[in-house]
Amino acid sequence: MGLTGDNVTSLADAPVPVVDERDYRNPELRLENLFDPGSLRQISGRSTSGVVSARGTIKGGAAVGYATDATKMGGAMGSEGCRHIVDAIDIAVRERLPVIGLWHSGGARLAEGVEALDAVGLVFAAMVRASGRVPQISVVLGPAAGGAAYGPALTDLVVMGPAGRVFVTGPEVVRSVTGEDVDMERLGGPDTHGRRSGVVHVVTASEAEALDRARELTALLSQQGRFDVASVGPGADLSALLPPERQRAYDVKPLLAGILDAPPLELHVRWAPNIVTALGRLAGRTVGVIANNPLRLGGCLDSVSAEKAARFVRMCDAFGVPLVVIVDVPGYLPGVGQEWDGVVRRGAKLLHAFAEAVVPRVTLVTRKSFGGAYIAMNARSLGATTVFAWPTAEVAVMGAKAAVGILHRKKLAAAPVGEREALHARLADEHEKLAGGVNRALQLGVVDEVVAPVDTRRMLAEALAAAPPGRGAHGNIPL
Amino acid sequence: MAEEIRAEMVASVWKVVAEQGATLLAGDTVVILESMKMEIPVLCEGPGILVEVAVVEGDVVQEGDLIAVLG
Repeated sequence: MGLTGDNVTSLADAPVPVVDERDYRNPELRLENLFDPGSLRQISGRSTSGVVSARGTIKGGAAVGYATDATKMGGAMGSEGCRHIVDAIDIAVRERLPVIGLWHSGGARLAEGVEALDAVGLVFAAMVRASGRVPQISVVLGPAAGGAAYGPALTDLVVMGPAGRVFVTGPEVVRSVTGEDVDMERLGGPDTHGRRSGVVHVVTASEAEALDRARELTALLSQQGRFDVASVGPGADLSALLPPERQRAYDVKPLLAGILDAPPLELHVRWAPNIVTALGRLAGRTVGVIANNPLRLGGCLDSVSAEKAARFVRMCDAFGVPLVVIVDVPGYLPGVGQEWDGVVRRGAKLLHAFAEAVVPRVTLVTRKSFGGAYIAMNARSLGATTVFAWPTAEVAVMGAKAAVGILHRKKLAAAPVGEREALHARLADEHEKLAGGVNRALQLGVVDEVVAPVDTRRMLAEALAAAPPGRGAHGNIPL
Repeated sequence: MAEEIRAEMVASVWKVVAEQGATLLAGDTVVILESMKMEIPVLCEGPGILVEVAVVEGDVVQEGDLIAVLG
């Protein structure tokens, strides 16, 4: 504390608690709040450069941080400040440490002209060099505009506080070019990026909470721990967290909390909510969780959710985080909008991400897994480490009733109207015995084992712990 | 502030669960939609009074259609 000195008063004979009167935008103060108390060591101190960088510890683990100085020209980035960021990132890569950037910057320094643009480009290049090698986390605490918008966007995870704003061109330029009347918050605030654009992974209610979340994410990625399978006690009946009616949708999050050691830290909570991506711990070790959420869009995969999941899978693979994939998916969402939105192109990213991943990755089918979405949710054919299913799970091209509607279309059409429904049900039963349920999938070897809900936690932990650890040799492009 | 509850996908309205004028808590079910052969509850995000229910059972809603307004 008191690094600036000039705001700290001391009374010689009557020590009173020192109130930190520094400007809340002070980058040193922000870095102090990011690191463990008393652990901060300056790399480059406060100057006219507009950037401060430091090293310290986060939950006991070494880390590097940098912060733009919003008190100097609104945090605008010039060549000197950019060099400090590049140096900080290079140090992190050299020492294999996570690096956290705190952003509050209007973009490139106009007065420096193209020199500043060149410098900002060098920051981007450093981030891409570090991509997939060390975790990079961004915390947006104020406006991060223009060049400063792409800084966070190139990193692995973006946390945004309530005052955070990210946009390429500000409201005035937008108004002059397109005539749209919009304020900074609606253009690029937490709601916009948390719900519509997917730029931000974690939205928080305060600056302090934003720094806390960044600390948690850092610890999850840089102190992953080891599986301690013995620590997994007797399991609860997790099937009680699903509704008894098979066709009823439900929120998958309580199930995820029941599978992991504690409720996980969810990313992109409001963006593409039909798939859940979260980091948490299972048997003490960090894992990444991907789960369909039937409550939203019935849990269907669609173009945005496939892209969200694909990026998450690639991030986990790049940092050696094993994956737990919880499947209850009725299929891909049909629709003209989906096809025109590139569900084929974006869905292909998820197939690519899973098939490429070398981290241990275990799939659990809780209720159903149908069609193309069956493959995309880390199927055996894509190289899943192990595929489990609960005893009542269905694994098929589609539900039995829909399947016989197509397979026996002529037969059904020929039946008298009054008997059609009964025939349909009987054919569906026969089809289910032959092609549905989980038995056929077991025979084929695309499901390895049926597990009871009470044993699920232990079985998942054992399967992941037994698999050889892996780490993908690739960067983490922001898909 | 009023919360407009809108359909996320094409669906038919299977059941209207909450009545107009009802006091709801966050996470309460307003209606249950039927789509993709599933019954999908539509929940309200915040607590409030259900000012309007814009659908009746059997209606087909398109993505973005108004289902209810929470005041």
